[in-house]
Amino acid sequence: MTRTLSTEVLIIGSGAGGAVTAARLAEAGRSVLVAEEGSWYDPDAHEPSSLDEFTARYRHQGACAALGSPGVAFAEGRCVGGSTEINMGLYHRLPERFVDQWRTTYSIAEFDSATLRRYADEVEAIVKVSRLPGAPPESSAVLSRGADALGWRSVEFDRVYSYDESGHGTKQSMSRTMIPRAVAAGAVVQADCTVRSLIRKGRRVTGARATLRYPDGSTEPVVVQAEDVFVCGGAIQSPALLQRSGFRHNIGPGLKFHPTVKVAARFDHPYDHEEVPVQRVTEFDPYLTIGGSASRRGHVALALVDSAPGDLDRLLEHWQNVVVYYAAIRSSGSGRVLAIPGLQAPLVTYSLNDSDLSRLARGLVHLGEMLLAAGAQELFPSIAGGPIVRSRADLAQWWGALNRTQSNLMTVHLTSTIRMGDNSALTGADSFGRVWDSDNLFVNDASLLPDAPGVNPQAAVMTIAARNADAYLAR
Amino acid sequence: MLWMERRVVTALAGPDDKRTGGAITEFVDSSFAAMPQHLRLGVVGESVLLGAYVALRYAPRPSDDDVLAAMSAWEHNPIGVIRQYARLLTSLVVFAQQELMPE
Repeated sequence: MTRTLSTEVLIIGSGAGGAVTAARLAEAGRSVLVAEEGSWYDPDAHEPSSLDEFTARYRHQGACAALGSPGVAFAEGRCVGGSTEINMGLYHRLPERFVDQWRTTYSIAEFDSATLRRYADEVEAIVKVSRLPGAPPESSAVLSRGADALGWRSVEFDRVYSYDESGHGTKQSMSRTMIPRAVAAGAVVQADCTVRSLIRKGRRVTGARATLRYPDGSTEPVVVQAEDVFVCGGAIQSPALLQRSGFRHNIGPGLKFHPTVKVAARFDHPYDHEEVPVQRVTEFDPYLTIGGSASRRGHVALALVDSAPGDLDRLLEHWQNVVVYYAAIRSSGSGRVLAIPGLQAPLVTYSLNDSDLSRLARGLVHLGEMLLAAGAQELFPSIAGGPIVRSRADLAQWWGALNRTQSNLMTVHLTSTIRMGDNSALTGADSFGRVWDSDNLFVNDASLLPDAPGVNPQAAVMTIAARNADAYLAR
Repeated sequence: MLWMERRVVTALAGPDDKRTGGAITEFVDSSFAAMPQHLRLGVVGESVLLGAYVALRYAPRPSDDDVLAAMSAWEHNPIGVIRQYARLLTSLVVFAQQELMPE
């Protein structure tokens, strides 16, 4: 006999969308159960971007890719708090230029700058958006120094960090902010709970079939009965779950992300490696962003191995002199998420077009210019056999080197697989996330964003999730 | 892990795997186990085919140097999935090696 759990609202996923939804609904007095596939960890249990963190808190241990020419590696969180636990805590409000554009194109009701600003203010009061106290570390200063030398604009990122009097920062991920608020208001968080499919009765969803995992390795199938269901598993898992449950209308196509190319920059002295650089070059916004990446020893080695495989041991002797930077673009290509019968992980594809490749090559060259202007001695691109650059004259080689066969690209910002808006020909959900073909099934995560916004989408996801949760409560 | 995968990890990691108590092999093994099934299936297929090639090409007992020579050639193979196979294994081993080895 399968055990049955009951709740008023079932929220599947506990990342930026799910945690905000859970907190708002629970604080409004709703009975809420959050089903999270991953485990619940102490947020300080793993060093950021370490092998331990990959093993514990990343889906597929970080080894996943969108198939295409070229394929693009991507990462998602799989733990209570979702990807907010593994990201760098960088925070950008949704750029206002997209608000009007998205509202018009997708007919999104009550989607305007003033409304979003109000919700962003509320979210930011909880997650404590701030900037570094004091001077930025040298790995960050590289970005402003290089940009200044070239006459380009650059800014410091806002971050969801709280700083104590000594200047020590603590990332305000969902497990430190929204999840405790939800639990304090009575929400139940069921970690290690994999939702297999939703249970449908006509236009209504009555719950979900799930599997609980226990520390001894055993599992238990359960049914979760719910009056309403929010799916908040992110732009890959949410459409896969909906497809497995028989929802198809505009569910899964239109995947967007920011294709990213990296460069390992070797300097003539050691740099800091504790934190990710907090500066970014905004000269080419919104189509191209330049910033810094995780630069632990393992990441430095990965960034070097493409273009200097034979010289790896020598370079790693002074790995502290090497810092990894990136150029990320807004892509005009798109992809698709497709659930495969019998398999838990969906097939993810992405088609980069020639314009994307050209923009990536331009980004790579600009990144090289900036790093050389900031004093880098040697630059190693994430291109197999890619030319190592030591001077501005060398940079011309990168234009042709970044191609479909040699480039190694990655991304982390995945969006747009169940777009929101009342234009049902283009969207998978209405203006507030209700899935077409259902009266009580909602999506409230990065899937809803009509496009990748050119910056980290966490703020946009949280803001829109708060707005949609309020719309649900007001029904 | 399949025979070919284990041989590649052993050849790439060298003595570091023993120094870490086999943790590099363990990490690569768990990464394969955690991969999406359809990607893992593709890697398994390549491991079988490329393993058969190495076993025949360097019979009767391919050395670590033989395996490294094969990997080096695959990194520049005109077939994309073969290049990606070489990069995947190299990336997993290099990352684990650098993260797990004491400074």
